Amino acid sequence: MHIVKQLMAIPGVIAAGEYAYRGDRFSYQGALTDEFARMASILCRANTLSVNMQSEIFDSFAENCGCRPVQGWIVRGANVTVCAVGNYFSFIENREELLNDVMTIMRAKVGDIGDDLLVNLYAKLGGDTKEALY
Amino acid sequence: MNLEKMMDLPGAMAAFTYNDRGELQSHILREGTELTPQVLDLLTRSCVANLAIAGMEARGWEAVTGQGGFQPLQGFSVVGLEWSVVVNGNCGVIVKNRDADYEAAFNALKPA
Repeated sequence: MHIVKQLMAIPGVIAAGEYAYRGDRFSYQGALTDEFARMASILCRANTLSVNMQSEIFDSFAENCGCRPVQGWIVRGANVTVCAVGNYFSFIENREELLNDVMTIMRAKVGDIGDDLLVNLYAKLGGDTKEALY
Repeated sequence: MNLEKMMDLPGAMAAFTYNDRGELQSHILREGTELTPQVLDLLTRSCVANLAIAGMEARGWEAVTGQGGFQPLQGFSVVGLEWSVVVNGNCGVIVKNRDADYEAAFNALKPA
């Protein structure tokens, strides 16, 4: 089952989606409008690139310290949490055990993110990824 | 914040506090971990930055979309290859991914 569909089957998951490197190509399911999903994709892409930049700095400071490559991030709000793993995101309610379940599923389904983050994210746009990037 | 209590969280490798400028104030490291106080000091600076960015995004998202539920923010976590750092306020904990209980970590970091 596709990861977004699988996430949306869990009670308490508000929306889930997938975004590409530029943040302007996305797909989603759940309680978001197209415009909000576009904004969420841009936000997720910006945060993902930011924490990856930070992890590269850590790595130059302490090689193989265990943080790089970054797999994802979580923003915990008062009632809502945003989780991102690779190029997938989900908005979930703060229900007991839901965050752990969602993170377990996202990590298992998306798999380990490699060092080539930009290639990975850009690939969702289709075409020749190497040519587009380099 | 009781750092020793934070170290009881599943998979905890380190617990730490930092000031508003991101400078490491106090820490506990699990024996045998490869993390160092120098790495923690760099990490705490990113924690302050990430919490500030997340706060801005939460505020902006609520204002633009009219949706609530984000503020006040209860923390931020970066999931690395082997470990995750979970922070809120001026305190954080590093947990091994395979043992991580994110909910317990965020709950432990809630202000009393």
